[in-house]
Amino acid sequence: MELRLEKLTKVFTNKNGQETRAVDNLDITIESGTLVALLGPSGCGKSTTLFMIAGLVKPTGGKIFFGEDDVTKLAPEKRGIGLVFQNYALYPHMTVFKNILFPLENLDVPRDEAFARVKEMANLVGIGELLDRKPSQLSGGQQQRVAIARALVKKPRVLLLDEPLSNLDARLRLQMREEIKRIQRETGITTIFVTHDQEEAMSISDKMVVLDFGKEQQYAAPQSMYNQPGNLFVAKFLGNPPINAFEAEVKNKKLIINEKPFMTLNVPDGLYDVGMRPENFRVADDGFKTEIKDIFHIGRDTMIHFEFNGNNVRALVDSDTMKVNQKSVSLTIKPERVYIFDKQTGKVVNHG
Amino acid sequence: MEKQLFLKSKKIEKITLIFDALAVITYIALFLFLFNHLQMPMDGQSVILEDLETFNPIYNDFPGIFSNLVLNRGQMNSIISILIIFFIVAFPMLFINIKKNKTRTIYDIDSYSTASTFVQAIINLLTFNFVGAGLRVYNTFVYIKFLKGYSPKEFFKSIIPAIKNKRAERKAKKLEIVEDEEVKDEYSLSIKKSIRRQTAVSTVRLLLTYLFLVLIALIIIIPFYWMVLTSVKTFSESSSTLNPQFFLWIDRWNWVNYKVVLTEQNFGLYIKNTVIVALLSTFGTIITTVLSAYAFARIEFKGRELLFSILIMTMMIPGELYIITNFITVSKNGFGWIGNPAGENQYFLAMILPFVTSISYIFFLRQNFKQIPESLYKAARVDGCSDFKYLMRVMVPIASPTIFTITILNIFGSWNAYIWPRIITSVGDINGSNYWLISNALRDTDFVLDTGRVMYNLQIAASTLVTVPLLIVFFMFRKYIMNGIGRSGTKG
Amino acid sequence: MGNFIKNAKEFLIKIGNAIKNFFWNIRRYINKFKRKISDFLDKKKINPAGKFPGWAKALVYLSPALIVLGIFTFWPIINSFALVVYENYNMTSDSITGYTIFGNFIKVLTDESFIVPASHTASSAVINTLIIVFISVPISIFLALGISVALNSIKPLKGFFQTVYFLPYVTNTIAIGLVFAYMFKTQGGLVNQFISFFGIDASELSWVETNAVYWRSMFVLIFYSVWSSLAFKIMVFLTSIQGIDKQYYQAASIDATPKGRIFSKITVPLISPMIFYITVTSVIGAFKIYNAIVALFGVQGTPPGANYNLQSIVMYIYQFIDGSKEGQLSVAAAGSLILFAIILVLTIVQMQVSKKRVHY
Repeated sequence: MELRLEKLTKVFTNKNGQETRAVDNLDITIESGTLVALLGPSGCGKSTTLFMIAGLVKPTGGKIFFGEDDVTKLAPEKRGIGLVFQNYALYPHMTVFKNILFPLENLDVPRDEAFARVKEMANLVGIGELLDRKPSQLSGGQQQRVAIARALVKKPRVLLLDEPLSNLDARLRLQMREEIKRIQRETGITTIFVTHDQEEAMSISDKMVVLDFGKEQQYAAPQSMYNQPGNLFVAKFLGNPPINAFEAEVKNKKLIINEKPFMTLNVPDGLYDVGMRPENFRVADDGFKTEIKDIFHIGRDTMIHFEFNGNNVRALVDSDTMKVNQKSVSLTIKPERVYIFDKQTGKVVNHG
Repeated sequence: MEKQLFLKSKKIEKITLIFDALAVITYIALFLFLFNHLQMPMDGQSVILEDLETFNPIYNDFPGIFSNLVLNRGQMNSIISILIIFFIVAFPMLFINIKKNKTRTIYDIDSYSTASTFVQAIINLLTFNFVGAGLRVYNTFVYIKFLKGYSPKEFFKSIIPAIKNKRAERKAKKLEIVEDEEVKDEYSLSIKKSIRRQTAVSTVRLLLTYLFLVLIALIIIIPFYWMVLTSVKTFSESSSTLNPQFFLWIDRWNWVNYKVVLTEQNFGLYIKNTVIVALLSTFGTIITTVLSAYAFARIEFKGRELLFSILIMTMMIPGELYIITNFITVSKNGFGWIGNPAGENQYFLAMILPFVTSISYIFFLRQNFKQIPESLYKAARVDGCSDFKYLMRVMVPIASPTIFTITILNIFGSWNAYIWPRIITSVGDINGSNYWLISNALRDTDFVLDTGRVMYNLQIAASTLVTVPLLIVFFMFRKYIMNGIGRSGTKG
Repeated sequence: MGNFIKNAKEFLIKIGNAIKNFFWNIRRYINKFKRKISDFLDKKKINPAGKFPGWAKALVYLSPALIVLGIFTFWPIINSFALVVYENYNMTSDSITGYTIFGNFIKVLTDESFIVPASHTASSAVINTLIIVFISVPISIFLALGISVALNSIKPLKGFFQTVYFLPYVTNTIAIGLVFAYMFKTQGGLVNQFISFFGIDASELSWVETNAVYWRSMFVLIFYSVWSSLAFKIMVFLTSIQGIDKQYYQAASIDATPKGRIFSKITVPLISPMIFYITVTSVIGAFKIYNAIVALFGVQGTPPGANYNLQSIVMYIYQFIDGSKEGQLSVAAAGSLILFAIILVLTIVQMQVSKKRVHY
């Protein structure tokens, strides 16, 4: 089922009458059966968006469509959604079985069928053995699975996950990430996944939405967003180590770096923000020479610090190409991996 | 194999518990029968208190196979005393074992639990519960087999070598220590000296601490001991002017005192009244408290904080202020619940209704409700759970320890209530003493002989009668109550 | 036989399932019905939940408590202020002869045995109460602190001692008070027996009876009120001492801090909020002392014919509440308002002090 947000807006007013636009004119269409990640720094309105889709928060303006139905004013329980919380929100006094059964108690399901569905869901998420335990007797990952089973047991039209992995330790997080992907594939349910972790979002989702101050920054498939960031914010937000961003001038269609022409560009002259990802540099004899300010050997890769227009720039290169205590280096970067952003709007000017 | 043994032991334990329960029921039944059988010196309808001391009936009218049994006063007292002692020993054991059996897992079987089962078997034997004793001894062997793989025979054979082994080990250790001390240099000697001094200081400190604690414990315990002892003394023993007795043999425990208090002095009725008032007011309190604590914790409405702070402020106002007007409210010019011969049962309304809510409990419960994470509420909303259902199915079960604490505190409060019942039962033309609660009865009943002397033994027996139910409830839910009080103070 | 048990078990499970199914279906139909109603409302674009503001919903939940509180708590507060300005209020006929602003207060304040000591007993309700407050509260707090620190420092028998110390909390004040009175009897009392062990002639030493003297009977009263109030304080102090982070003590023991200093520099400051809270509540509680006096000395606070009187403020107030004489309820109201004022002032003073002294 397709999910569509039309000019969705949420304005919070605090006691002093100050208004904050948590979500600002969001227009997104999520295709049926895809897993979409809502990504952004904390406080960017991604959870508010999720809760508006769930019906727990009333939007100030705009509309939400599930397929053809306008659900904007519908109560949460009538929207047919499953919701998984950051802290799982399992009922501590009920067993796993009762926890999963609880949503079905309020639906029109015969008891035998309800029990069968609980068992089916428990097996799907891999906790068939633990039905008699209380949540406090489970590990974080197992609690997470129970929460997912509880969200899925009423066969929702949309599954919403609110930072579901942030309470898990690193190893479990990797495992659960794959697990969620698998469950989503098996059930084919349209899923929205809120997270602040870009790596998590990129690895799990079919498409992602990057939000900042409630505004949509870019909506695209993860890899294309990484390779073709729509604006400076997205470029800075994605990638680890972060992108090198600095100011540079374009003169006669030539990008000037360290007072030398660096490359040819098809953009008007003027001052621009330039972005280059550290991992896109290569060591090559025919590149530009630069002095190394600092060098860190980190196993497979080596991190080099040097200066571009007075800014500290990092490059991540293959360790085999570097010597210990090397003083200078010659580097290249592919022209299509250099991003030029407009100074005022922040929009990319040399791509798309 | 191990699992089978465990399951076997668990099964045996369950059967043992049934027999334990049967034993306890038998003690109670026998006690009730004999207590009922106790004779008092009667003069028509009322008891002749003066003759209680010298009254020495012969009990020979037992039914069935006991028809040939003839008991005098001392023997009868002894039997009842023994039954009560049996009950005091067996009932807590049963209660604790039921709790333990529920949560027992395969990891709980260790040498400690084996030993305790054996000790319990001995206690069973001493309390005439032979079946229980036999089953427990058998279970001990199952445990031993589980732990060591011995069968009983092998176990007995292995005891003596094991003791010898231990002795040898101890000797070896001693030798080691002696060898250690051979090393002598200035520094290590001085360290040893200071360690020795330190242990001496800390031992003395520990001893003093225990001495202090024991002293305080004695001061706490002695009134209770004195109360129970006096309650079974005769009149002359209790009011002897010289040398009160500190100990009595079981044949001189006069259980008839309690019978006099319960029937002649009407304490049966007062206890009934108090139980009615306690249960109903607690029931009401729980309902109103849960509902309003929910409103203050979860529902957002204008003026919530204002209303709540008004309630908190009224907590500072002394209750004496309310009593004056409430007295007017319930009497003739108000609701007319008291001093009204037509509807005597309305006394209960006057005693219960003013106490069916409590601001401090609302406050206490609200704090508890607020700690329940908001996301549970959201999850329930998504699942189509209404507010009321969420309260009943999620919040109340989660806050049940607090609700239980409130229940207990409220029951204790009703059990202690004195001034309000006294005021409302002391006015009007009708006999308000039929609606006394126990505290009023304790203070306002005359335990006085015609000669004007106070029958302390009866008075103290009544006190004991009032105190014991509370103590039983306390010991049954000891951990709950003590933790609850500690927390209620901490959150205050 | 085994087969029979098996069949019986299965039969029981079947019955159980049938019953559970029945209830499940009832809930199902109720849900269905609810859903139909709300679907209908949705279709008609009526949103009942949206129309009711939060306070309407809150009112439903609050009304049971608010009704009871309104009648038995808020109304009495208002009415008390009315009662004190009535002159000669007659309860049975609900009539007054006029109004007075301070008349009832003056009656209370000038009454012999409220503030002014009565001539034959040389004590008054206020004096008695103040003595009890300023002696029993500090004693019980220091004692409870000492006991809870001592309890915290031991391991074996800790649970046993804790349980024993808690016993006074779960007793009836009147019942144990009677036992205390019995123990302090002049002749044949346990206490006098104990004293005479030391070779002191205690056969005439009277504590709670008619020919006792004021200080001795006050001693018994304070002893009893400390005895019965220790349990709660120990429990609360122990809970908060156990809540202190062990690292403070570990750090102190590395610095070789003596135990006394650990107590005064770590334990007491860290639980000072709790000590403060307990002090406030105990002072308020001690001002309202009543049941203990009734148990030990009777409803008048003095045995008949005795020339000492242990009447407390509350007791003074209650002697007017039977409404038999005109104007008595007004005097009682005035007395309780004075008590309220005292408690209010004390609370405010203690709060001011605590702002400077208590380490939160």
